[in-house]
Amino acid sequence: MSKKIIIDPVTRVEGHGKVTIHMDEQNRVKDSFFHIVEFRGFEKFIQGHPYWEAPVMVQRLCGICPVSHHLAAAKAIDQIVGLEPEDLSITTQKIRKLLHFGQIFQSHALHFFYLASPDLLFGYDAAPTERNVVEVSMRYPELAKKGILMRKFGQEIIKMIAGKRIHGISTTPGGVHKKVSAKERDYFLNGKDIPSVEAMIEWSKEILDFIKVYHSKNRNWLNEFASYPSGHLGLINKTTGNLELYDGYLRAIDSNGNKTLDDIDSNDYQNYFYEGVEKWSYLKFPYLKHLGREQGWNRVGPLARLNVCEGISTPLAAFERLEFLNASDGKTNNKTMYSHWARLIELLHCAEMMKELLEDDDLLSNDLLRRGERRSEGIGIIEAPRGTLIHHYQVDDKDRITRCNLIVSTTHNNEAMNRAVNWVANNVIDGQQKVTESMLNQVEVAIRAYDPCLSCATHALGDMPLEISIYDHLGNLSDVKRR
Amino acid sequence: MKINIDGKDYQVLKGKKLVDAAKENGIYIPTLCHFREINPSLGTCRICTVNVNGKFTTSCTTQVQEGMTVEINTPELIDTRKAIVEMLFAEGNHFCPSCEKSGNCDLQNLAYDMGLTFSRFPHAFSNKYVDFNSTRMIMESNRCILCKRCVEEIKTHDDKNIFSFVNRGVNTRVHIDYEEENKLTEAEAIHAMNLCPVGAILIKGMIYKEPFGERKYDILGKSKQTALNESRTYKNEEEKFIVATTSLAGCFGCHMSLLDIDTDILEMLEVIEFNKSPLTDIKKFSKRCHIGLIEGGCANSENIEVLKEFRKRCDILVAFGECAIMGGIPAMRNFVPLKECLEEAYVHGLTSEIGANIIPNHEDIPKILNNVYPCNEVVKIDYFIPGCPPNANHIWKAVQNILLGKEIPVMHEEFKYD
Repeated sequence: MSKKIIIDPVTRVEGHGKVTIHMDEQNRVKDSFFHIVEFRGFEKFIQGHPYWEAPVMVQRLCGICPVSHHLAAAKAIDQIVGLEPEDLSITTQKIRKLLHFGQIFQSHALHFFYLASPDLLFGYDAAPTERNVVEVSMRYPELAKKGILMRKFGQEIIKMIAGKRIHGISTTPGGVHKKVSAKERDYFLNGKDIPSVEAMIEWSKEILDFIKVYHSKNRNWLNEFASYPSGHLGLINKTTGNLELYDGYLRAIDSNGNKTLDDIDSNDYQNYFYEGVEKWSYLKFPYLKHLGREQGWNRVGPLARLNVCEGISTPLAAFERLEFLNASDGKTNNKTMYSHWARLIELLHCAEMMKELLEDDDLLSNDLLRRGERRSEGIGIIEAPRGTLIHHYQVDDKDRITRCNLIVSTTHNNEAMNRAVNWVANNVIDGQQKVTESMLNQVEVAIRAYDPCLSCATHALGDMPLEISIYDHLGNLSDVKRR
Repeated sequence: MKINIDGKDYQVLKGKKLVDAAKENGIYIPTLCHFREINPSLGTCRICTVNVNGKFTTSCTTQVQEGMTVEINTPELIDTRKAIVEMLFAEGNHFCPSCEKSGNCDLQNLAYDMGLTFSRFPHAFSNKYVDFNSTRMIMESNRCILCKRCVEEIKTHDDKNIFSFVNRGVNTRVHIDYEEENKLTEAEAIHAMNLCPVGAILIKGMIYKEPFGERKYDILGKSKQTALNESRTYKNEEEKFIVATTSLAGCFGCHMSLLDIDTDILEMLEVIEFNKSPLTDIKKFSKRCHIGLIEGGCANSENIEVLKEFRKRCDILVAFGECAIMGGIPAMRNFVPLKECLEEAYVHGLTSEIGANIIPNHEDIPKILNNVYPCNEVVKIDYFIPGCPPNANHIWKAVQNILLGKEIPVMHEEFKYD
C-alpha cells in the first residue's frame, strides 16, 4: 500500500512549514513536497494606505528580520519622495547601514545558536527531546551564553536606532527620525554594560573556528548531504563587486559560476523575474524569466552571496572567505550544509562593519533628512539575513498605495528547499522498511540550513487535516464553533 | 455647595461640571471627548459615566447640585467605563502597531490607564472610508470615534466649519470641507490633528515624528504601573513548570520577544521546561502543560485546530501579542474579500507569469478562513499580554505571576500596544 509521510510542523525554523513524502508499495519515494501553509495577503490589504505607513506596517511580515522589511520598504518609499539610496544624507546612510548590520548579526546569531547548533553539537540522530537550545545551554553553557549575548548586541543596536528591539521605527521618507548620541554609541564601544563590539569580533572568530573544526571532521558528510546544482542570486557592491548587504546590483550565477544575471540595477528587477505558483504551497516560486522555470531558480542567502561576490571589504571576513573558497577548490559551492559556514563568515563581516560604523563620527550628525521630486513608483532591494528581499510600491497622486509586490528571501529559496527535501527523501529514506525519527530530522536539517523564515506562517497538528473539508475558501467561523 | 462622592462629602463650586468638580477634589474621572474649551460639553464618548442619585449619566454633562450623591469608583462603574473603551476598540479599526498617532493617542493612553488588554466584545472589522481628497489632510474614519471635538472646535477665521458629520447612524462619519481646510494656517491644521483624541486627522508629512520613548504618553506615563492580577498554578515538587508555545497567524516576533530577556532565560529554564514549541523538536504534546502561550490570530483552518488543541492540553492559555488578541495586521485583510487577496498575490501580481491562473488549493495545505479572528473569539483565553510584540519583561512577569502568584507590577514602558 502506498503511504504518505508527514513532518508537521517543521521545527526550529522561524515560522511554520510542513513536509510530505509520498512512498509507493515498495517503500520507494515517489515524490516529496515542502509546503508553506500560511497566506497573508499584504499585497492587497496595504492598498489604500498612505505610502509612509508601508515600512511600519510591512515589517510585521516577520518578527525575526523586521528591520530588513523596514529598510527595503524605506528604500522604495525614498524613491517615492524622489531619492535614490546615494541621495540620502551620509549620516542617514550610515545609521541605516548600522541598523542593518545589527539586524543581520542578531539574526545569524539566533539561527546558529538557538536553532541550528543542536544538530551540529549533538548530531541529527540525537534524541528529539535533546535537540534544542535548552540542552545546548546545559551542556555548553559558555557557548550558549556567548550566543545569547551576541544576539543581544545586535538587538541593542536595533533598539538604539529604532527605539525597540522588534518592530521599531527608524526610517521616515527620505531619512531617519532619530539621531544617535555619543553616549548611546559609547555603550557599544566601551564594554562596560555589555561586551564591546571588539568582543563580538572575537567571538565571531571563535565560532568560525568551531565550524572549521567541525568541517574538518565531517567533510564528507558536509560535501555530500543535500548537495545539488543550482543558481545563486545576491546583491554585489556597485563599484567593487564585493559582498553587499545594503544596496547594490543584482547578480546571479549558475552552478558553475557563469553569470546569468549580469549586475542589473534594482529598478529593472521586473524585467527579469517571474513567480510561479503551485497548487500545494502558498509560497510562490520565483525564477529568472529568460532561463525559465526549470533552469531559472536560484538559491539566496549567505551561501549564494558568498558565491556571487568577488570579495569581502572587511579584512578578517575576507581572510575567512579564502579558506571557505579553498574548501570547494575555488569553485561555486552548491553544497547546502556549507550555508552554516557562510553564515558565520557574514556574522564576522557584520561585526567588523558595526565596529567601523560605530567608530565613525559621521554617525552622530544631525543632518538626517532629504527631499526630492515626488514619483509614483518605488523599488527597494536589500539583502536580508536570509537573502535577496524585494519591495515594490506604486502610489497615486493622493499618496495612496495602489499596488504592492513583495518577493521575500525565503520565497527565492522555495525551489531550493524543495530540492533539499527531495534529496534527503531519495538518498536517506528511499527504500527503507522502517523510517526512523533520525531520518526525518535529516529532512529538517536540510531545510534548516536555509534558515527559512516562514513567518507568514502557522503551526499545525501532527495528524491534520482532520476536518478541513468543512471549509471552502468562503468558510466562516460559525461553522468552526459549532463543531 | 456640598456633594457626596463615593460616601464622602466634598465642597464644590456652584455651576461646575461634575467632571471638573471631582477633579478639583482630586478625584479623576476618565474622559475622551471632554475638552476644556468646548462648552457645553459634547457628551459623545460616554467614558466619564458615573452614577448620580441612582442613575447612570455622563459627568461632563452634569452640573453639580446641592446634596447630590455620586458614585464614581465602584467596581461596577470602573468596569462599565472600561467596557465603553473596549467597545470603541471593537467598533473602530484601531491598529496601534502601524498608526501614526500611537504614543500620542488619548484613546490608547486611556486604555493603558485602565489596564485594558483585550476587548470583551467581538471586533466588528467594518470597513470605513478614508478620505485622501484634501491636499493637506487625511481623514481616517477607521480610527474616528465620532467625539465631535474637531466639528465643534476647529473653525476658519471667518467662523466657518471645516469638519462636519455626514450620513446617519452607523454610517456617520466626519467630512472635511476641502476648500475651507485650505484656509487654515499650518499651525491651525496641526492643532486640529492634535485635538483629535485618536489618529483620525492626519497631516501628510507629519508622520512618526517622535521616536519611541519621546512621544507624549511615553513621557507623561513614565512612572505609571499596571498591577497584574495574582494567580497561582501548583505543580509537583520535583517537576518543572511545563510551558508550550505556538505561533498561529503571527510573524514570530512575539516568540523573538520571548528570547529578549537575554541571559535571564537561563534562570527561567531552572523552573520551567518547554514542551510543544517551535523552539524545541517536540511536535506533539507529550504531557499536560501549565501554560500555553499563543502568538497570532486564526487565519486558516489549521490555526483553529492548533488553538483548540492548546486549549485542551494547557491549564492556562495566554494570548500574547496584538494578533492573538485582536487579529493584528493580518486582520487588515478582513476588509477585502479573500478572493481578491488571493488573486492579487497569485494571479495579478507585478511579477506573476503571463496567463497565471493557479491559486494554491490542495489537501496538504490548510484552507484559508474568510476572516482573521482573534483567539478569544475561538476559545476561552485566560490571560492577555498586549504589544507588537509584547515587551519581553512583560511576558516573563506575566508568566511568573501566573505560575508563582508573584505580584509584579508592569511598568508603563513594558505595557504597550505597538
